[in-house]
Amino acid sequence: MSEYAISVASNMGMIAFVALSAYVILVVGEISFGQQAYFGIGAYMSGAATAMWGWPFGLALAVGSLSAAAAAFAIGALTIRLRGLYFAISTLCFAEMLRLWLNSVHVRVEVDGEMVGPDGAEGFGDIRWIFENDVTPLEFMFIIYGLLGAVLAFLLLVERSRLGAALRMVGQDPLLARSQGIDASACKLLAVMFAGLIAGLGGGLYAHFATYIEPNVFNVMLGVHGLAYGLIGGLGTALGPIIGVVLDIGFLEGIRAIQGYRMIVFGGLVAILLIVMPRGILDETRVYRIKRWMRRT
Amino acid sequence: MVDFIQTTIDGLSIGSAYSLIALGFTLVFGVMRRINLSYGPSIMLGAFAGTWIFVTLDAQPWLVAAVTVAGTVAVGVYVERVCFWAIRRDAAIASMVSSFVIWMQLEEVATILLPGRTYPFPELFRTGGVEIGPYFFRMEYVTTLTVAILVLVMLRLLLFKTRFGLALRAVSENPAAAAYMGIRPGRVIFRAFVLASLIGGIAGYLLLAADQQVTPYFGLWATFKGLIAMMLGGMGSIPGAVVGGLILGVIESQTQWYLGNAYKDLSSYLVLFMVLVLRPGGLLGQGIAEREAQAFRRI
Amino acid sequence: MLEVRDLVTAYGTIEALKGVTLSAKQGEITCILGPNGAGKTTLMYSIACILKPVSGSVKVNDTEITGTSAPHALRCGIALVPENRLVFHSMSVEENLMAGAYTRLSSDRAGVQADIDNAYARFPSLKDRRAQIAGTLSGGEQQMLAVARAMMSRPKILMMDEPSLGLAPLIVAEIFSIIRQLNDEGVSIVLVEQNAHKALQIANRFYLLDQGRVTFSGTPGEIGEDDFIQRAYLGSKVA
Ligand SMILES: Nc1ncnc2c1ncn2[C@@H]1O[C@H](COP(=O)(O)OP(=O)(O)OP(=O)(O)O)[C@@H](O)[C@H]1O
Ligand SMILES: [Mg+2]
Repeated sequence: MSEYAISVASNMGMIAFVALSAYVILVVGEISFGQQAYFGIGAYMSGAATAMWGWPFGLALAVGSLSAAAAAFAIGALTIRLRGLYFAISTLCFAEMLRLWLNSVHVRVEVDGEMVGPDGAEGFGDIRWIFENDVTPLEFMFIIYGLLGAVLAFLLLVERSRLGAALRMVGQDPLLARSQGIDASACKLLAVMFAGLIAGLGGGLYAHFATYIEPNVFNVMLGVHGLAYGLIGGLGTALGPIIGVVLDIGFLEGIRAIQGYRMIVFGGLVAILLIVMPRGILDETRVYRIKRWMRRT
Repeated sequence: MVDFIQTTIDGLSIGSAYSLIALGFTLVFGVMRRINLSYGPSIMLGAFAGTWIFVTLDAQPWLVAAVTVAGTVAVGVYVERVCFWAIRRDAAIASMVSSFVIWMQLEEVATILLPGRTYPFPELFRTGGVEIGPYFFRMEYVTTLTVAILVLVMLRLLLFKTRFGLALRAVSENPAAAAYMGIRPGRVIFRAFVLASLIGGIAGYLLLAADQQVTPYFGLWATFKGLIAMMLGGMGSIPGAVVGGLILGVIESQTQWYLGNAYKDLSSYLVLFMVLVLRPGGLLGQGIAEREAQAFRRI
Repeated sequence: MLEVRDLVTAYGTIEALKGVTLSAKQGEITCILGPNGAGKTTLMYSIACILKPVSGSVKVNDTEITGTSAPHALRCGIALVPENRLVFHSMSVEENLMAGAYTRLSSDRAGVQADIDNAYARFPSLKDRRAQIAGTLSGGEQQMLAVARAMMSRPKILMMDEPSLGLAPLIVAEIFSIIRQLNDEGVSIVLVEQNAHKALQIANRFYLLDQGRVTFSGTPGEIGEDDFIQRAYLGSKVA
């Protein structure tokens, strides 16, 4: 694999975490414009853990994703009674507040004679874990895909469980869910928290992949892209968001020939796709049909 | 005290432009219960068309204004056809995501039209402003405020005194029942879109003429200012949009004056977040939250 | 007057009407009865051109209106009082009436104003509440408003979908007397009802709809009421 291909593939893998995170919230019937915040929390926390405190990588990732999950839980608890656009905008508000606040966070410590740590809008550089441990880009790509595969497998398992069915029911008909004895609020909170965890994990990987992060990376465009991937791929299965990411980034890289018109072409294609398939490529009915077909053969 | 009042005056003037953008949002949201993320970018592209004839043909300000507004309407029509008319009525998320990918499209068109980062936008007046006592009224702000009030009065008349206004309110309340009355919801939605784009184009022109420059980021900026102002006041409510825009303007200018530029945007997000948590329907909207919840439940 | 022939209407792949033929005569009250889910509402919508039928035809005074638009059906003289009333809750009573006259609002302002006055004369309780927001009216008043609103298009045929739904007996009696009164003034009525007893008292002709098909039709005299209710709601095994 060329260096370029590895970097594209790694980027795809990391943004897939954002897409999956947005997808989990879509499943419970809400829209989030703010998953980039948890991606950012994961990035800053795990970046700080290795670069500033010298913790091992695994522990750093865990700290990053758990802090993201904790933040998601707190914000989720505050906004649990909001629905629809109100919920969506509250997530956006939080994400933007966090991003703007990070612009004024300066926590610098001295490590090996150099100052490292978040430096407001100047960003947070020198997250040197991959250099210090001689991790090649290819190896890091395997780490990304290993973790992505684990998350995906877990999501697919959940989807086949009773919990998965309950979450989906909450998303499609909260009243019906409630009448079945499902605690819709608890389900939503769980989903929001888990979505935060996934995004935080992706963020932790990103910080170590990029070695430099700044608040503006975690702007609303990141979150909305994740959301779009979730929908393009389809709301029927956790594989959907992955398809969305592959289509978008893969396609955009593939059509370099028409550089300068890529978004026009791609935007137009996605718009047409959404007209034909408003719930994405792998929506519930198609997933159901595929499953039935696979069982028969 | 003088400072405080002066900042409030400035805030209200900028806020009146926010109100106009929020009005466009509310109008479209009210009539179809779907969000058009491309609203700001349509204004941006309209403004790029305006600034394009300004930099290449050295056009007069009034012509730039006309092209900006007409461009916004044209782009608005495109967005309506692709993201809303063509997508099943109950697929609100698909419409929203579609309006997002079209946004990406519009940004690229803008950079093809004018590849630079920033372009000059013709100012309205060369004169500075008027002084009343210790207070200074920037001429652009006076114009913005006047135009905003004018648009508001006309919109009110349109909504409550005309046949189209009746149809628009009927469709926003219950499209099915409106259809039984012989109203064509699709047509009403289309016209509401054109109207919203018209208002957005005017607001965009006023804001940019006051700034004297335009960048592709204006799209994002306008979409989110409009969204915040609309949510502050309460979605789908006309007075809510106006009040929300004014409050947003005042909050921004006060925090900018007293706390500095860094806190300007932060404060408006913070206020909106608190309003949402404490009073989910927005300041003036109630019951809308519930109706909205129902609309989204159908997705 | 109204001729419906072999009408088939489907939601997706499910046919809710499987070939309905019926006719409503000038100046009569035609009643359509049937259990829940029989397709009565679907039939109303198909006649009013709100739903597009798969096949079949709807004719008003020998003009084909099948597959045209709701405004066109209104102009041909068909108005609908929808199930559950569906008045515009956030608008005033008077604005609701104006909305009912939407199709002729631009051409005939004076006529619309006269009709609003007529409506107030017919429904005095609405006159007192002309500026009141319709959402705050009682159920009975909302039903009156829905009828008055439908009459604003000056229909020749007024279709009513379960006007007595959820109303107290006294109000139901009032609604039925209004139906009769409208009919006396020359408006043909197509009435969908669950309340078979009441409906049969005023109907000139009735149709029994079940699972998308007309299973029985006739005049109220042709059959005893008990027998009728048996057929309508307990299946046709007695017949
Ligand atoms: N929007 C819809 N989508 C799919 N199926 C529908 C829809 N509306 C009605 N149906 C189906 O069509 C059939 C007829 O429904 P319809 O509402 O016409 O019955 P109805 O006779 O009016 O019943 P009721 O007495 O309960 O009002 C039912 O089986 C119903 O489930
Ligand atoms: Mg019915």
